Amino acid sequence: MLPSDMPSTATSIYPKLSVIVPFYNEEANVGPLYEALIAALDPLGIHYEMVFVDDGSKDGTLANAIELAKINPRVVVVKFRRNYGQTAAMAAGIQHARGEILVTMDGDLQNDPADIGLLLGKIEEGNDIVVGWRFNRQDKLISRKIPSRIANRLIARVTRVNIQDNGCSLKAYRASVIKHIPLYSEMHRFIPAIASIAGPRIAEVKVRHHARRFGSSKYGLSRIYKVLLDLMVIKTLASFAARPLVWFWLLALPMMLAGTGLLVYALLDGLLHGASPSIPLAGSGLILLASAFFLFCSGALGELVYNLGDMRDHEFARLTQRLRSGRKVVAPSS
Amino acid sequence: MNERNVKMKLSVIVPVGARHADILELYNEYNAGVKALRLPYEFIFVVDGPQADVVMALEQLIDRGESNLILVCLNRSFGESTAIMAGFERASGDLIVTLPAYHQIEAGEIAKLIAPLDTADVVVGWRFPRASRGLEKLRRSTFHGLVTRITGMKLHDLGCGARAMKRHVLEELSLYGDQHRLLAVLADRQGFKVVEAELRQSSRDRFEGIYRPREYAHLALDVFTVFFLVRFTKKPLRFFGMIGATMFGIGALLVTYLVADRLIFNESLADRPALLLSALVVVLGLQVFALGLLAELIIFTHARHIKDYRTAEIIQYPQTAAPRWDAQAERESPAEKAALR
Repeated sequence: MLPSDMPSTATSIYPKLSVIVPFYNEEANVGPLYEALIAALDPLGIHYEMVFVDDGSKDGTLANAIELAKINPRVVVVKFRRNYGQTAAMAAGIQHARGEILVTMDGDLQNDPADIGLLLGKIEEGNDIVVGWRFNRQDKLISRKIPSRIANRLIARVTRVNIQDNGCSLKAYRASVIKHIPLYSEMHRFIPAIASIAGPRIAEVKVRHHARRFGSSKYGLSRIYKVLLDLMVIKTLASFAARPLVWFWLLALPMMLAGTGLLVYALLDGLLHGASPSIPLAGSGLILLASAFFLFCSGALGELVYNLGDMRDHEFARLTQRLRSGRKVVAPSS
Repeated sequence: MNERNVKMKLSVIVPVGARHADILELYNEYNAGVKALRLPYEFIFVVDGPQADVVMALEQLIDRGESNLILVCLNRSFGESTAIMAGFERASGDLIVTLPAYHQIEAGEIAKLIAPLDTADVVVGWRFPRASRGLEKLRRSTFHGLVTRITGMKLHDLGCGARAMKRHVLEELSLYGDQHRLLAVLADRQGFKVVEAELRQSSRDRFEGIYRPREYAHLALDVFTVFFLVRFTKKPLRFFGMIGATMFGIGALLVTYLVADRLIFNESLADRPALLLSALVVVLGLQVFALGLLAELIIFTHARHIKDYRTAEIIQYPQTAAPRWDAQAERESPAEKAALR
């Protein structure tokens, strides 16, 4: 599976692969998942580590994970002060992982560690992000699968990142890319979309999905408005972050047109009929125009904010670029 | 007192604002209370703004050889939060205690305030039982009921100036504005363990007179601040977007109705004030939404400095020689670095 020209990683102090698993109240799943990981990763013959993030569990999850760390130096446990949610747990795992390739997965045994090899292969082929696709998903149809299908269609349409299954936690990343993508709020569902800011090569592989064996699911039908608003945020950030004036201009344009139209109509109407212009018509026009102007000012404020911030597109571009000099093609730093 | 605490040094910060009791008397009372703990301690009085009488009284104390007393005089009034931070900059203790500059609690109760620090990170005082009249009681319980609802924390007395915390708590929370009242909520958000300690109320803790509307406005703003901080700090569009989209929706419905009226029932449009209203609502909705986007941009452009989580420790056996490949590590707080084994 490993290309022969890769340096041997067995002697490197850095692992080749980090598997990141966030746990929240999964005491029954820690042990079995660990066994399954060992069984899946040892045959790959690479230097790997497992990063278990305890997201402030209230049961024995942390104790179980620490027991594993004691018997296996490849286990790193990141303990949170309290529960911060899955995005934060993923972000912490990604920041503390030392591997060249990072694989994230759920701590509930619904993902199959045996698929990690598959994802790894896709990364070795040159992809930056490989997303698992739970094509035979073992969840409830009405409350989980159908909303998820609709959400995925919507996300794909809006962000133009064509992925069947954004919600699958089993994903692999090139560390040099994902470590520089900002992850906060509740973005773990949208990692490929938000990462698209850097223009990564994204591939999708079908992975197995098992029904839950222990513990209970932590999600229900999440509220639609949250997804819609988050989606809007990601869309605007990914496409316009560097040009706030443009997106405020897009908001302001229809209002400006409508306002001008109303105002002109009211004035002409008044002039032609020799009466004073209609107050509601002219007033509405003025309100729309004033608002358009105000949005423009907001756009200017946006430019100021972006200018003072420390996100620059060229830094994202660097993450996935390919250099070529002479006849030698240099792969993105990894 | 737990043995672990024996060598802990205590820094007592007293921010002295415009409202303050006789400072000599207060100092003697607190001093006796703190001395009884048999811990090394220091007092830091921060005089918030020009108050010649207080400064003189404290300077006399220092001249008389009170070596445990530090006096910080701020040249204008900055407010209690800033005064606490100014005092904290001079504090050398491992445990930080803030005490109000007027009699709220019996000085003998300070032991109860710092005892829970064995396990907790922050202790906030709760004057209990508390003497109060009907209306004031209602006001207080409404306020704390709201805060409890929003935060899920059971808090009873955010107005109590007696608080104790470990040093690293204040190192991480940089207080400003009116945040001293919300210290418990802010600390909880950072993942610190916060507990309340029941303290006997001072017999002289009497607020004569009535609360002015200004105080009520302050309380309402506090509640809103908590609400916003807890729910929306990292996802402002959820807040602005909800309001904006709702208003936009209402406005759009109104416009549709008006246009339908004009087209179908031939009702005149130009002279209807409802047109003005609908335009206003639509526009306002869009503006609020745009503000949300702007807020998202602010968060995004600072995302490299935002860390949504606080790690308690990283556990790995045996400790590896390999440094963590972690750009974020440089920004981790000293407390977190110390926790790395």
